[in-house]
Amino acid sequence: MTGALASAGPLGAPVVAQVTAIEASLFAFVVLTALFTALARDVLAAVIIFGAYSLGMAALYTFYRAPDVAMTEAAISAGVTTVLLLLTLAKTTRLDHEAAFESVNLPAAGAAGLLFAGLMLTMGDIPAVGSEDAPIWSNPDVTQWYIAETYAETGVENTVMAVLAAFRGFDTFGEAVVVFAAGIAALIVLHREVFA
Amino acid sequence: MSGTDSGGDADAGSDTGAAVDTDAAEAGNTGGSEFASGGGFGRDRPPREDGRLDSERRQGTPYTESQVIMPTVKIVAPFAFTYGLFVTFHGAGSPGGGFQGGAIVAAVVFMIAFAFGIEATRQWLANTVVVALAVGGALVFAGIGLVPVALGGAFLQYELLPIPDPVKYGMEGVEILGIGTIVAGVLIGLFLVLAKGFSDAGGFADADAFDDEVGEGPEAGDGDESSGEDGPADSIDDGEPDPGAPGPAATDGGER
Repeated sequence: MTGALASAGPLGAPVVAQVTAIEASLFAFVVLTALFTALARDVLAAVIIFGAYSLGMAALYTFYRAPDVAMTEAAISAGVTTVLLLLTLAKTTRLDHEAAFESVNLPAAGAAGLLFAGLMLTMGDIPAVGSEDAPIWSNPDVTQWYIAETYAETGVENTVMAVLAAFRGFDTFGEAVVVFAAGIAALIVLHREVFA
Repeated sequence: MSGTDSGGDADAGSDTGAAVDTDAAEAGNTGGSEFASGGGFGRDRPPREDGRLDSERRQGTPYTESQVIMPTVKIVAPFAFTYGLFVTFHGAGSPGGGFQGGAIVAAVVFMIAFAFGIEATRQWLANTVVVALAVGGALVFAGIGLVPVALGGAFLQYELLPIPDPVKYGMEGVEILGIGTIVAGVLIGLFLVLAKGFSDAGGFADADAFDDEVGEGPEAGDGDESSGEDGPADSIDDGEPDPGAPGPAATDGGER
């Protein structure tokens, strides 16, 4: 996201030309769905639009060659979260609204706009997407080392999985335990002793 | 979440609402009745005038037998399930892994629940399966991590595992049997437990529990309801240690 915003920003025309039509339309889709999620007055509509937003983000991640993240976004955010939110909505009271959209609080919108403008000023220093000069890519001690050594060290072709399960396996163990604890917490909060 | 009511007794309770509080209480083991007697949270509003179903009027898990959804899910589910297993098992060579694959497998269960009813899915998928997935995954992950420690190495030092090709199969074990099963089990469990939720439990069960803890006798209405709910609570929750306790047990009895 940042990269293309940067390329559309102070970096100037030559870089803007690299933004393809697919990329631009995905961006427009994601931004619009994000806006409608925030503005939709009906919660059900907001949840469904949020699912569409997540799907757009998943497509965008795929486009930027982060398929692992895209899969997680599609499965967890677009799929599971939407289902759980819908389930919760079915359990709660849904007010009916006359207006389709929330009324915008102008001072808050102004503050958010100022923050956005301030952040945009820093975009010129961020390298373009896929740039070989980007520190995240050119760093010989981290990124390049993992790319070069992962297969020799672990015998696994997918570097992302090697990092998750081997190099940072202890972190992943913590994450898995957090997921497990979330299930237990749901049981406790809902005063139940069995899942099914 | 399609429209028509088939949620059964819980709907009846919340439809009549707090306006007919006593009737609802007499209905005994309906979940919604307790909500009505609990009052508040906007559920005592009158029915909408335009006749549209508001979500407050379908408190049980809404379910409609759809001739479109059921065949679609029947066709799609095996492929989606296989894809989930593929993503999990093939995570070492292609994008994916335990988190993603487990989520896809859980999403298949969600699909089946939407097509054939959450209650039917709940009965088909026994609590034992869900708990075994979540707990088994955590135990396998911890076990694979701790075996090398017992053999004098570091946590998750795969080389020390007493199996052939330990690094490869150790990581696969962590991804498939550890992370994948934890994620699938917990997500399915979250779905099922959210589907039961508070509403069929008769509102915030904390009220009952609080009464018990403080030692005040529960209100007359609450007492009737909880005694009425002991039956279903027993039948649903086999193996539950103490289904007779008025407070938490009442939360399990509602939706049938």
